[in-house]
This record gives sequence, structure tokens and C-alpha cells, in this order.
Amino acid sequence: MYGWGGKVIYVDLTREKVVVQPLSETEAKMYLGGRGLNSYRLFKMVKPGIDPLSPENVLCLANGVLAGTALPMTSRTEISSLSPLSGILGDGNAGGEFSAILKHAGYDQIVITGRASKPKYIWIEDDTVEIRDASDLWGLKVSEMVDTLRDIHGDDIAVAGIGPAGEHLVRFATTMIDKYHSGARGTGAVWGSKNLKAIAVRGTKGVEIADPETFFKLAKEDEEWFKKNEFVKKIYSVIGTHYGLLAWHPGWKYFEKYLGPEELPEGIRPVDLAKYEVGRTQCFSCPVSCKDVYKLPKWNEYGVSSEFESIYALGANNAITDTEAILKMEQMADEYGMDVITLGDTLAMAKFLYEKGIITDTDTGGIPLRWGDAETQIKLIEMIAYREGFGNKLAEGYRNFAKIVGPEALKYSYDVKGLSRGWYHVDFLNGIFTLAHATSTRGADHLRGRSWAYWENDRNMDPELPLKLLEGGLPDYRKDPVGALIVSERACTLTDSIGRCKGSINSWPQAIPLVWKYPLFKGLAKLLTAATGYEFTEEKLVEIADRIYLIEMAFNVRQGIKKKHYAVPFPPEIINTPKIQAEIKRHWEMVDEYLKRRGCDVETAVPKRETLKKLGIEWVADEIENKEFPEWDGPPLWPLDKYPRGR
Amino acid sequence: MAHRYILAVDYEKCTGCHLCELACSIKHYGVVNPYLSRITIITKPEIQASTPVYCLQCNDAMCARACPANAIYFDDKTGAWLIDYNKCIGCRECVYACPFGAISLTVKAEPIKCDLCGGDPECVKVCPHGAIFYGPEYEVVRKLKKGKAVGIVYEVLEKGIEVPAGNRVKEAEEAVKTLYRIWEERKKLNI
Repeated sequence: MYGWGGKVIYVDLTREKVVVQPLSETEAKMYLGGRGLNSYRLFKMVKPGIDPLSPENVLCLANGVLAGTALPMTSRTEISSLSPLSGILGDGNAGGEFSAILKHAGYDQIVITGRASKPKYIWIEDDTVEIRDASDLWGLKVSEMVDTLRDIHGDDIAVAGIGPAGEHLVRFATTMIDKYHSGARGTGAVWGSKNLKAIAVRGTKGVEIADPETFFKLAKEDEEWFKKNEFVKKIYSVIGTHYGLLAWHPGWKYFEKYLGPEELPEGIRPVDLAKYEVGRTQCFSCPVSCKDVYKLPKWNEYGVSSEFESIYALGANNAITDTEAILKMEQMADEYGMDVITLGDTLAMAKFLYEKGIITDTDTGGIPLRWGDAETQIKLIEMIAYREGFGNKLAEGYRNFAKIVGPEALKYSYDVKGLSRGWYHVDFLNGIFTLAHATSTRGADHLRGRSWAYWENDRNMDPELPLKLLEGGLPDYRKDPVGALIVSERACTLTDSIGRCKGSINSWPQAIPLVWKYPLFKGLAKLLTAATGYEFTEEKLVEIADRIYLIEMAFNVRQGIKKKHYAVPFPPEIINTPKIQAEIKRHWEMVDEYLKRRGCDVETAVPKRETLKKLGIEWVADEIENKEFPEWDGPPLWPLDKYPRGR
Repeated sequence: MAHRYILAVDYEKCTGCHLCELACSIKHYGVVNPYLSRITIITKPEIQASTPVYCLQCNDAMCARACPANAIYFDDKTGAWLIDYNKCIGCRECVYACPFGAISLTVKAEPIKCDLCGGDPECVKVCPHGAIFYGPEYEVVRKLKKGKAVGIVYEVLEKGIEVPAGNRVKEAEEAVKTLYRIWEERKKLNI
């Protein structure tokens, strides 16, 4: 097979068996790879209603059809499973080198089932796939683990794995790729529950392209755009996502207010962060060096990639402005393997509840939770990773934590389908912006339907670009928000399935190759045709994207997602104001319209049989039609003393 | 005497994205495979060390000296040491002799080394950060000197900050200014 590696690895950890099977041509053409292949596999293999931390859960890693080719930014690994954080589909998308090297070894996907009796890691070297003992690796922090594996296997390997947080089943533990790249939604805890510490891979085979001449010509055109773009060159490659601190109004003190560019306190401005920077880096085959390498003189340590999200969630939202301490927390989250957004928001929520008196010193074990207290927060992060003391409760993650505290706390959990809404304004609806959170198939998320609203909020794109795109058939988000969102969701689905980065310059048009030259998906169709030798067209790609999205919706239907879960949260203080009530009314109108256009039942939000039939997946309808699934209320939580705790 | 053409990498500019490796393998073999590249990037981002390993085209090349078949010869036109595969016996002595490890092997254990793409190196063109230079020796060396000097000057100016490479702050300030400028331009366009 051209473009694809052509093989899938199935690992049964319970029986310690490895089976390598060829990737079926039909599957490849129907789901491309990456997120598409993962979501399809999960729907087939995960039974509804299981405990995400049980051996029955399935962990999938996939790289995408264009991963590891010379098309820039094709370095994303998609890690999917039933999420222990949200209890619905959970997938994380991470950069690094793993994706490309797995492709160079000749594989498209790794599917892991069962549970090993002892800690294990998987070693892949071209045609060799082995399950190996990982007793020496268990307990190591992420960088120590990667260094140890590099000592064993050489420094040209790529590693995916977990840190102590994953081992301790912290529900928002992430899969860490090559030390610093994190794939969230709690997939790290699934590794931990399977006693799997890492996957290390070396690939020396490379990728073969069906029509190299056309493909490399197109890839070069695409790269030229990034080289010439002023925003990429002068801003994104210099301060990375830190520019978002100015552009995206980060929340302050658990969303008490949102900071405009002029209100940013000293300590969390991009220039303050630059003081600790010693260099820049990026993922495999990416011309945009969006990641910073920073030094922490106080601890004499280094860290990589302090994104906007870490600065806002760990810093601003907790009212902390000590730059070095925030960077230290970010580095700790990487080392323990935790998602910074959920971590920061859970801590901020705890502080908020403490201030309100909903939780007291009895709950926290005598630890005072004060705004701006960096020292305590550093201690708390460590306690969460090892589930010690109060950290054990916090480790359940955002909504689950609030659920443990009680209904009074749950009112202040600003989540959609169990996932925190991140930095997005909780007290105002921005039409499409909020709709995108409600319709995301993995819970509130800024990367599922990177909506056209970014154009409004994120004032950084090439001004000519959207106009060209509008000519190319993209609905105007101001007049037709639902139509624009569906196109955005398709774009993001395709991007994840080809293995390209959506964050490259923080808007999806750039993530779909050659959009500026061949509007929307035509450029991608050309690239895929040249890479694989199969004929792809814009229409076919739209169909693929919809097929993947509806499979994901169907997966969540089986997990008990009903229409009411498309609601978006508001602070209880303002929810009854006429302004918000009007917004909510408009939101539900948009949800109805969305479900109609997606081909779902408007009352139940279940994909219709005829829609699925049209997309060639009628068998999915047999799984969800006329069946009752218990209503979703987060994942099943364990008694707190049942988790592995301490060091 | 004609100027000698050389290829050089500014290590401080290299961020380790591997695009040069891919371009090299595509140019020579039409496939994407870093192991078939004649330039190799060894990365260790945590200490900001991305070290490109490539043929330095030595004046007195150890590989040519070690070759028992006299298969490695100097090409005056491009300034590259080339392998004459008609003469090469595949003993791999050149690989062991190179002090920098710049000669790679294919799966058939054939030695491959940088041939400067016949005078138009692909890696130079693909590098997104302009870290690879190719040209007459005086020009290349001048570019390297300039890059280093700017870094030193900034560091002197930013003495108050006790972290290395103080020019980052200056660069960040510039970036923020550019951001504000783009916003202003957007406002004028009224979209």
C-alpha cells in the first residue's frame, strides 16, 4: 500500500499475544487512518457500559495516512479509548516523532486490549513486535522513562507512554509522546489500568508514495505558504501559542473575569515568559517552531512547550502570576503525565469552592486553598499525581471531583459531557463558538470543530484567506452558523485522520493542505490521490468525514448521551437573567438545526438509519436503533481507597 | 583561484524538525525515509541541542584516504567528495574512518554521503529556519559570523536577566508588536 504503512498491530496484554494483520483496503479507504480508524475500531470493539478502567477497554494509537511523509506538520498521533474522565469517547491528539516513526516502521494502528499481570512495555522495530518486562520503568517520570528506553534501544527511537499519574489512574492522566507532547482525555489512566508503561518504536523502512512527483510538488507548495506567512514567521514561530494570552482573553480566578490584552498582569505576558526561554523546538517535519524550551534557574531544570493553555489554566485561572512557578507546574504536569487544562481548572474550581465554603479544611486535609498561592499548588500537583491526601479527590478530575463534593459543587462545574470548557467564556454565548462545544464528540473541546468564529476572536489570520475560502463554498458563519460549524467539524475530522496538526497556526484552514490554492478539500483530495494511488475527490472526503463523525456520535449514544447533554453550562448566578435565557433559547434552536442537518433524530439526537445507510455504515444503526441505554452521568467512579496510592 | 563552495549549518538556528532529512531522501531515492538521508539530525531539545551530522567535505578527507579502491574523489565543480560506485567494493572502511559519522549505509550496506546535490543542495532550500547555508566560503562564513554576533550583542544588552540567550525577550517584544500591527490592519479592512 502506498501512503499507508499497511499493517495493524493487535496486542492482547492478558494473554501476552501479538498479532499483526494487514490493514484492509476497504477500512483504509472508508476511514483514512488516525482518528477515523480509531473511532471505527472503538465502536466495533468496545461494549457499551463497561468501566473505562477495566481490561475490557480498548486503547488505540494511530498515525494517519499522510503521517511521516514529507508534507509538513504530519506528526500527530491519535490516542483513543473509552475515556475514564468523561465516560464517553475520549481521544487525544499529540505531536512529537512517534507518529512518523511508527509509519516508517510500516504500521498504521496499534490496538491494545486486556490487562498485563505485571508492568510491560511494547518494543517495535520494523517487523519485530515484542511485549517486554517494564518493572524497571514502572514509577519513573516521563523523561526518565524515555531516557531509559533510549539507553536500551538507541536514541533514534520514538516513545509513547505514561508517567506516575497514569500509573495511579489519575482520571486526566495523558499519554505522553516523546517526553513533552500530551494526548489528553484521560487516556493515560487506560494505559495504567492495563499495566502498560510504554511503546517504543524504531522504523527504518520509510514511506512509499504512489506518485512522488506530484505529491512532493504539492507538499512543497504547501510548505512555501508557511514559509512566507508573516504570522507564522514573526509571531507563531517566535512566541508560539503564548500570543493567545493577548488574543484569547484568558479566564482569571475561576472565570471571575476574562483578561483583555491590556489587563494581563505582569508575570503572564508573552515577554515575561520569554525571559525563561532558551530555545525553540517543534515536532517531526514541521516548519513552525511553536514550542519553547525554557530553563528554570530556581530548580535548575529544563522544560519544553509551555503552551497558552498551561499558562492560563495553571496560572491566570488560579490567580498565580509567578512566571517561574507556572513553568515549573507545566513541567511537572509533563513529567507526571497529566493534562494541564483539566489539572488547572480542577484546582481553580477547588479554590473557588473553598472560598465559597462548599469545601472546608476537613475536606482538604488542612491545606488552605488560596488564590495565587504557587507553593501550595506545586505541592497539590504532586499529591494529585500520586493520589495522596486531598490529591486523591482532585485526581478524579473536574466534573467527577465536583460530583464527589456534592450537588452544590456540581452547579459550578462548567463542563459539556464531562469535559471542562477550558478558557472559553462561560458567561456568554458566541453562537457557533459555544455550539461547537456542545456538538463535540469528546466533550467540550476547542479542537473538534475549530469554528469560523475564530476568525472573529482570533484576529490573526491572513485577511485574504477566509474570503477566498468563502468563494470555495464555506457558509458565512454569521448568517449560517450551523452550516459553517459542520464544515469546520469535517475539516477537523479529516485533519485528525490524515495525521496533521490543527494547532499549526491555530485555525483549521491551514491544517487542510493547500486550502488557499484549491478551496476547501480539493487540495487534500489531490494530495491523497498522489500519495495513495486511490482516487479521492472533495465529495468523497466529505462523506468520509461525516461517516467518522456519525460513528463517534453513535458511540456516545451507546454510552448514554441524550439530547439534553448538548446543553452548555452557565454560572448559577446569571442563568436566570433574560439575556442568558434568550441565548439558551437560541442555542437549542441551533442544536435542533444541527441535528437535522447531521441526519439525526431531532428529539433523541440519535443518528438515523437512512443517514447511516447513505454513508455505507448501516450496520451501525443495528447497534443503536430502538435500544435503551442508561443515561450518561460521567464514568463509573471507584471508591477512593481502591485506587493505587502513594509512591 | 576559484572560490571553494561549502555547505554549513548554524547549529543555533536548527530546531530539529527533520525536514532536511526527508528532502534528502526524496531527492536521491524518491521515498521518504530519514535512514536514507545523507544529513542526520541528532536532537536533544531539553538542552536546545539539535546537531546536524553531515559531510563537511574535508580538505584532507579521511574517507578518501581509507578507501582501498580509490573510489572516493574530489569534484572541483561542486566542492564535494563523491563516491565512484563503479570502483566501490562495499568494504565500509570510509564509514568507520569518518571522524564525524557523516557517511550512512543503505539497507544493502552501500555507503552514501553528501554529494551537495551536484551544486544545488535540497536541504538548503527546504530548511524553514534558514539554518543551512551553501555558497562560496567567504559568504557562508560571513553569514555564520553575523548570526553569532547578533546573539552576543543582545546578551550584553540584557545583562540584567540571568538566563542564557537574552535576545528571546527582544524577539518576543517584536512578535507582540507585529501582532498588534496585524490587528490594526484587520480593523482597517473592517472584517
